Formats: sequence, structure tokens, C-alpha cells
Amino acid sequence: MKTYILIAKKEIKIALREKLVLALSSIILVLLGISLFTGVISYQQQQKAITKAQDEKRKEWLEQGDKHPHIAAHFGTFIFKPKTVLSLFDFGLDTYTGTSVYLEAHYQHQFMFRPAQDHNSMIRFGELSSALVLQILMPLLIIFLAYASFTKEKERGTLRLLNSQGVTLTSIAWGKVMAYFIILLTILTPFILGILLLSYWLKTPDTITDLGMRIGLLGTTYMAYIFLFVVLSVLVSLKSSVSRNALLTLLTCWILFTIIIPKTMANFGESLYPLPSMKIYKEGILKDKENGLDGKTPKAVRMAKLEKELLKKYKVDSVQQLPFNFEGVSMQAGEEYGDKVYDVHWGRLLNIFNKQNKLGSYVSLFNPYMALRNISMGLSATDLSASVDFQKKVENYRRIFIKKMNNDMAQNSNYGEFYEYSVGLDMWKSVEDFKYKTPSIYSTLKKYVLEFVSLFSWIILLILLLNYITRKTKLNNG
Amino acid sequence: MLKTNGLTKKYGAFTALNALDLEIKEGDIFCLLGANGAGKSTTINLFLNFIEPTSGSATINGIDVTKHPLETKQILSYIPENLMLYPNLTGLENLDFFCGLGGKNYAKAELGVLLEQSGLQIDFINKRVQNYSKGMRQKVGIALARAREAKVLLLDEPTSGLDPKASNEFSELLLEMKAKGVATLMATHDLFRAKDTGTHIGIMKEGVLVEKFESKDVNFQDLEKLYLKHMHN
Repeated sequence: MKTYILIAKKEIKIALREKLVLALSSIILVLLGISLFTGVISYQQQQKAITKAQDEKRKEWLEQGDKHPHIAAHFGTFIFKPKTVLSLFDFGLDTYTGTSVYLEAHYQHQFMFRPAQDHNSMIRFGELSSALVLQILMPLLIIFLAYASFTKEKERGTLRLLNSQGVTLTSIAWGKVMAYFIILLTILTPFILGILLLSYWLKTPDTITDLGMRIGLLGTTYMAYIFLFVVLSVLVSLKSSVSRNALLTLLTCWILFTIIIPKTMANFGESLYPLPSMKIYKEGILKDKENGLDGKTPKAVRMAKLEKELLKKYKVDSVQQLPFNFEGVSMQAGEEYGDKVYDVHWGRLLNIFNKQNKLGSYVSLFNPYMALRNISMGLSATDLSASVDFQKKVENYRRIFIKKMNNDMAQNSNYGEFYEYSVGLDMWKSVEDFKYKTPSIYSTLKKYVLEFVSLFSWIILLILLLNYITRKTKLNNG
Repeated sequence: MLKTNGLTKKYGAFTALNALDLEIKEGDIFCLLGANGAGKSTTINLFLNFIEPTSGSATINGIDVTKHPLETKQILSYIPENLMLYPNLTGLENLDFFCGLGGKNYAKAELGVLLEQSGLQIDFINKRVQNYSKGMRQKVGIALARAREAKVLLLDEPTSGLDPKASNEFSELLLEMKAKGVATLMATHDLFRAKDTGTHIGIMKEGVLVEKFESKDVNFQDLEKLYLKHMHN
């Protein structure tokens, strides 16, 4: 039997007999169970509430009675952000982005009802999701499992005995890596399979695309992360003279990776690429709508120009003589100009978000935790890009919906006729209900190339380092 | 079987072992005597390739231990002063594991017999090593050397701290191995054990082998006088 397999078997046997390892594994398993349970409950509750509210709003829309289409455009409707089934695993930014938005003519309202608003300060600091347990607490389990992997052998003197049997340090190291990885896989694999089964069982209208592939990739990425931490822990233990030093070094790495670097980079990104306040952002849009994007063409000028162009085009003297209701056309023109202004301001905001995210992606090259966190949110469709995609699709839906109202007004009503003209159920039915699907997994993966490069590079680097150091190390002190 | 040629180990200006020339043949038990820091353990560590020589060479069965450490370790067995095993494994499991590493696979019953023949009480064979005394652990070491069919035994003060009975049992096991042609290099402070068990005796002082003779050529009193003479000079 290969030497490293023998060593792995011995390590597993010893680990199973050590109460600390069993206790820590049990704690992780319990936390994973609790987080998954609360994730499922929260997903089911929110999904149920969203479906109920969406149905009520649709009913309200259909039963609003006969009225002028522009009044209906202001009557508006609500869109609720559907939960993706993988949000039961990784809440991502869902807690911090709004869950619903009011759609009406002229205005792009902000998303409302952020779950974080309703939480107490402890939960705001970070909800216990399964992803959080695996990303932050699992490395702690790995550290406690492997920090003494070599130092204990050195302290006990068994490393000399092992080496005197003709066993290379490289074989010993990989035997240990294999053992710890197998132990951790016995925790991770059933959990990932559980997520897979739950996801298919709970899946409501296909909000999330490529579900199977996403779960497969999530499992693989988390395995890579665990493997990485196992190799790192064994490596640090090999290079440390005593167990206490190994533990301190690994805990320092853990604190740097999971707390200090992410928080520092978030603050640094915010300082380097500051976001405007909501007040300034809204005022900017309002100002540009009023005065024009160039600041010189106010709304009245733009409307006068439109009127002049249309009168000239249709060779008539007044708007009453136009073959359509000018009010409907001017409203749509105003709407489209408002959309243009919004796109400029929203684009600027997105640009800042993207720069902050890009900075995070670059930093993730030095921090595997940040790389995994970003990939995990991306694959669970709870990241910023999923939120932006949803907002874009909602805004697109709003524009089509308002255009339908304005076009009807332009084509079927007369100039000056407002309360006299009305439409009914057929019109309301023609506005289809909003359906949302997340972007495909391929477009998600494209956004996280740097993060995948980071994890891959870390693994390769640590493998090479472990091989190099085990070949170079002599046991004169061991 | 075991041979050194001008074997030297220096740590900066300090010479831990100076130009050691030594040859131990099959069935020989060579006992290295000397005070702490005399170079006994350094010699053993060099044979184990735990450290590399500054100059000179050490060979086992004609194979250079520095150039081919894995090959030489296949034919040797090492028992340090305090043989440390895995405390959460039983004596049998420890033996099974270490035999497996050397490519020797035995049935559990065979391993049990080996442990018993090496003097371990039957009751303790399946008990965790955390309950073993030092003497019991040394016996597992002997069982391992037997199981591995080692041609060379490297012993670094193996009887230090053992009670006389356990020490005596250990010596008997060494003589059994000697009869099978095993070449043994044993570093020890125990003059009586060296005279009683060893075929050859060497006295080391400050990294130099100052005396080398066959144990049959001296009686215990002469050995003691010789040893003390070198220690006091």
C-alpha cells in the first residue's frame, strides 16, 4: 500500500479518537444544519410572501377598473424580487438589497424593504448562512485539526521514527493532507448533496438558471477552498518548531483573510471610489430632467422643439390637427428623455460599483476567502451583478409598460381629452406579468475569472511549496 | 555492514564528530560510550541521514547513507532513548502501521506473537500506548525491528531509564538479534550493559573515538577505569 495512504489511514484513526476533533466537527455539522434549516425556512417564508404579494398586486392591476391609461401608468404596480433557491445556502447581498420596487410613469423608484433594516445589530453584522459557516468557520476547524500535524510529531519524537523507516517528509505531508481532506469531505459532501436535493425540491418557477451546474461548481469550489486551507495548515505546521507557534500563525492568517483584509479593502474601495449620497443622486437626475443633460435645454424647450418638428412633418398648423394625440407622444418623449437621464446617472453609479468590485477581485488574488466569497455569491445569484441584472430587467419592463400606456393614449384618444377617455381589462391584461430569470452561469463565470485564477494559483503555489519544503527539510531538530 | 570513513560533522567552529573510522560487521554489537555531547548521537543521526556530514562518509551494507537514504533505511531499525509511539493507537496498531511503512504486511495474530516474543505482556497488546511504560514502548521497538527483519540496529541509549529487569530483557532481545546476524550500533552510558551485551566497545570524547576494543579483552573493572580516565582528562 502506498505510504501516504497508510499515513492517511493512521491520521484518520487518530483524529477519530481525539475528542477535540470530534467535538469541533460536531459543532460545524450542527451549525451547518441550523444555517441550512433557517435558510430553508427563510426562503420558503419569503418566497411565499413574495408570491402572495405579487398575485395581489396583479389582481389589483387587473381589477383597477376603466380609466385613462396615463392614470393607470401612475396607478402603477409593484415588482417583487424573487428569491433564488440557492439563496438558502448563500444569502449574499440579498439582505442588503431591496426586495420590491414600485413602477410608475416618469420615475425610477429605488428598491424598498431591505431585510437588513428589520434586523437587530447582531444579525446585521452577518447572518448565519451555510456559506458563512463553510467560508469562515470551516477554516477554523481545519486549523484546529491540522495545526499540530507536524509539530506534534516533532514534539513527540514520532517524526524521527517515521523518517527512520525510510518514509520521506513529502509522503508524510501528503498523507496528512489526504487524511484531513477526507475527514472534511465527509462533512462537506453530504451537505452539498443535501443542498442539491433541497434545491430541486424547493425550486419554484425557474428563477435561477443552470441550477445543477451551479451546485456542482459550488461544491467543487468549496472543496478547492478546503483543500487549500488543509495544505496551508500542514505547511505551517511543518515549518513551525512548536504547536503553539503553528496555531498562532494560522489564526493570524485566518483573521487576516476573513476579517482584516476584507474590511480594509471595503473601506479602501469606498474611499477610492466614493458613491454619491442618495439625495445627491436623485437631485442630479431631477436637475438633468428639468434642464437637460447639457444644462441648456429645459423641458419646455425640448417639448417646443418636438411640437415644431411634428407640425412640420405632418404639415399642420396646430397639435389638434395631428393624426394622433400629441399629449401621448409628448409624454412618451418626456419618458424617453427621463430614461436617457436615468441611464447616464445609473451608468455612473454602476461604474463606481464595478470599480469597487474590480478592486475586490484584484485583492482576492491575495486572499482566497474573498475569492471564494465572491464566487459563492455569484453562483448563488445573490451577488451585486445579479441584483443589477434584476434592476435592469425591471426598468426595461417599466419602460415597455409605460410606453404601452402612452402609445394607447396617443393613438386612441384626442388632444385635451383626459377624463373622457378610458381603457379597461383588455388593456390591463395586455401588460404581461413580470417574469424574472437570472443571467446564465456562463455570464456569471466571466465576471469571476480573477477569483478562479486566485483559488487555482493558491492551490498550485501551496502544492509546490509543500513539495519543495518537504524535500529540503532535514530532521536534525525533529 | 556499518562503516564510516573520516566521518566528520561540524556546526560552525564546533566539531561534533571528528574523522570517525568505524566498522561493524554482521552479528556485532558495537557499544559507543561517552559523556553527553561526546558525539554518540551525532554518529547515529548521521547513519540515519537526519543530518549531513561535513566530510567523510557513512555506509550501510556498502550503500552511502547520504546519497541513498531511503535504501539504507529499508534495512535498518532505529530505537531512540525514549521510543515515542502514537498514544491513541494500541501497541498492535502502532506495530502494524510502522511495519506497513517498511513494506512488511503481517496478519494481526502474527503481530501479536511478535509483540509477545519481544516481551510485551499480552494484556497490553491491544491497549492504547498512552498506558505503556517506557520499557513497554522499547519492546514495541524491538518487535518492530524483528518484524522488519532489520539487518542493522541503531540504538540511542535504549536502556536509559529502564528498570534493571526491563533492561535485562532488552539485552536478551539484542543478543537474540545478534544471533541472527544483525549488526548493532548502540550509544549508551551503561558500562555494565556495554560489557555484558556488546561485542565491541568504543569510548568517545569531544567528537573523537579515543578507544576501540573487543569487550572480551577487558573486564568490567578495567573498562570502568578506562572510561573514567578519559572522562576525567
